[in-house]
Amino acid sequence: MAKQPSSPIAKTARLLDLVPYITTHQGISVKDLAKEFSISTEELLDDLNTLWMCGLPGYTPLELIDLSFESGYVSIRNAEILQKVRLLTKEELVVVAIGLDFLRESISKDRVDLIAAIASLQVKIKSLIGDIAQASPTVDSAHRAVILRAIKERKDLEIEYHSLIRDEVSTRAVTPLELGEDKGIEVLLAYCSKALGFRTFRLDNVKQARLLDSSQMISDAKSDSEELFRAKCKVNSRLRTTFERFRLETALATAPSVDSGKAVAVEVTSFSRDWLVRNFMSTLANTEITEPAELAKAVGQKSQATLELYKNERFSS
Amino acid sequence: MSRKTERLVNLTIALLATKRYITKSEIFRTVDGYEGTAESKERMFERDKDDLRNLGIEIEVGSFDPLFEDEAGYRIKPDSYQFQLGEVTSQEISLLSLAAEAWRGAALDGSALTAIRKLHAIGIESDIESIPDLAPHANIRDKNLQVAISAITSRQKISFKYLSEELIEQERKIAPYAVTSRYGHWYLYGLDLEKLGVRSFRLDRISGDIASEGKSGSFEVEKSFDLSSQGSNADEIRTATIFLRTGRALALRSRSKTASTKSSIAGWDLVELSYRDQERFIEEVLWYADDAIVLEPGDVRAEIIKRLELGVKRYG
Repeated sequence: MAKQPSSPIAKTARLLDLVPYITTHQGISVKDLAKEFSISTEELLDDLNTLWMCGLPGYTPLELIDLSFESGYVSIRNAEILQKVRLLTKEELVVVAIGLDFLRESISKDRVDLIAAIASLQVKIKSLIGDIAQASPTVDSAHRAVILRAIKERKDLEIEYHSLIRDEVSTRAVTPLELGEDKGIEVLLAYCSKALGFRTFRLDNVKQARLLDSSQMISDAKSDSEELFRAKCKVNSRLRTTFERFRLETALATAPSVDSGKAVAVEVTSFSRDWLVRNFMSTLANTEITEPAELAKAVGQKSQATLELYKNERFSS
Repeated sequence: MSRKTERLVNLTIALLATKRYITKSEIFRTVDGYEGTAESKERMFERDKDDLRNLGIEIEVGSFDPLFEDEAGYRIKPDSYQFQLGEVTSQEISLLSLAAEAWRGAALDGSALTAIRKLHAIGIESDIESIPDLAPHANIRDKNLQVAISAITSRQKISFKYLSEELIEQERKIAPYAVTSRYGHWYLYGLDLEKLGVRSFRLDRISGDIASEGKSGSFEVEKSFDLSSQGSNADEIRTATIFLRTGRALALRSRSKTASTKSSIAGWDLVELSYRDQERFIEEVLWYADDAIVLEPGDVRAEIIKRLELGVKRYG
């Protein structure tokens, strides 16, 4: 797996970790050991040969670490000094602490044992590194696990999905293809039985996920390529927030050719026309649509319809 | 085979095995791998100490005999070398390993991998059956997160370019305190060394790489800093009363603490919502257009009407 040879420091860390690991797994095969440490067997053999030269000052056979691995199975003797598992570095503790936060949010309330175990581990870790990292996940780890299982076992899923664009929660059967990422948001690419086509679903909007026994529905699917909608607009103010909302590269506005801080003309795209209309409604104060005229008109009509309600006496106090 | 690796391992063994402090000259005489002039041995040893420290191995410096104060001695205390979470159960091992798995393919996968190795080396069978099927995932590959965390744990100052609301790059220099992940974004907290106050920075708004400034251990976190109360002290909470069309504006509705009451208008509910950032709240309400009509507060209502009038004028 490791494409380049490790640095002497990384190699040192690995050797120090190999000793306790082999000590508790005497007779492990070279292959399994290499896999556990994510290195090639060649690199592992090189590690073991190096370790063989190490020991207490004096470096006679009495002091050197005694390894045997010619048979393809590894065992170790005379390594008492190093056989304790090393401490977790602060960075490793942070990694674990954040991971525990992710887990805690996905464990059902009735698993009191697990919630207590996580809490006690977090207290221990905080006492060592302080309160320096917290995470609230937007995606439920249990839902992700169900989706991954469905992909692996080639099963369909039933998901309850909250579409912010349609402003509705719906239940639908989907054939999951893969998990991916769209501009920093985790998405599921799936064939949707409801839309009769391939769709991407934001994982943070999946409210429930359940495995179905049915086989793939995808077989007779026509791959309908969704139409991409484009609009040109000027962003006049609140540039950063608006760029992030429309998922635009901020580099477009920070390029030397752009007058910094001034209005920026950009093109925005989406597979959903509704998404564009809603975003232009949200940013009425900051954006100005230049084309297409049809989209500008739609936003104008929405504004008009909403304004009429505000002007309606029944909606005022 | 690497001589350097061999020497580092041998140095670790020698310093761990000794019950008393051993002097530098003893180390040079007995530990394999220190060669060359006195000066080059010195340099080698200094670098080796730093390298071991970077691996989390602390070398303790002390005087082994009060009569020889001028010559320092070295050792590694077994307590500071070995796994520090104490006795762990097989269930705890499973939880810790699964927690680290969240970083597979993400920003901190190097540390995650070494953590998992150590946990497995303890030699307790994990008890994964006792844990529900969970797949945690830290959805971030930004290398700056690792740099930030390393600076936080070693208390090293950092600098970076930060994009302002006007999308202008500003130079920032901070003493980094903590990181959080909220609403799908990562935030870095720290004492802004020019503005002299604690500020938060969204990681994806940092342009380019974070740079380290100066030595580690160069600041202390202010005692008054409390991570749990961060992100909630910027604006005060305000309450809005808002008409929502029945069955619509689901995300807004789900944030309401009060049960939605039927309004006097058929097909509409009257709901109370709290918010902090007024601008963001207005943008959120406008997303739902004619499905969400703000009644109170009056200034928010007036601002929304102003924007709608602008929309009608501009696009109508």
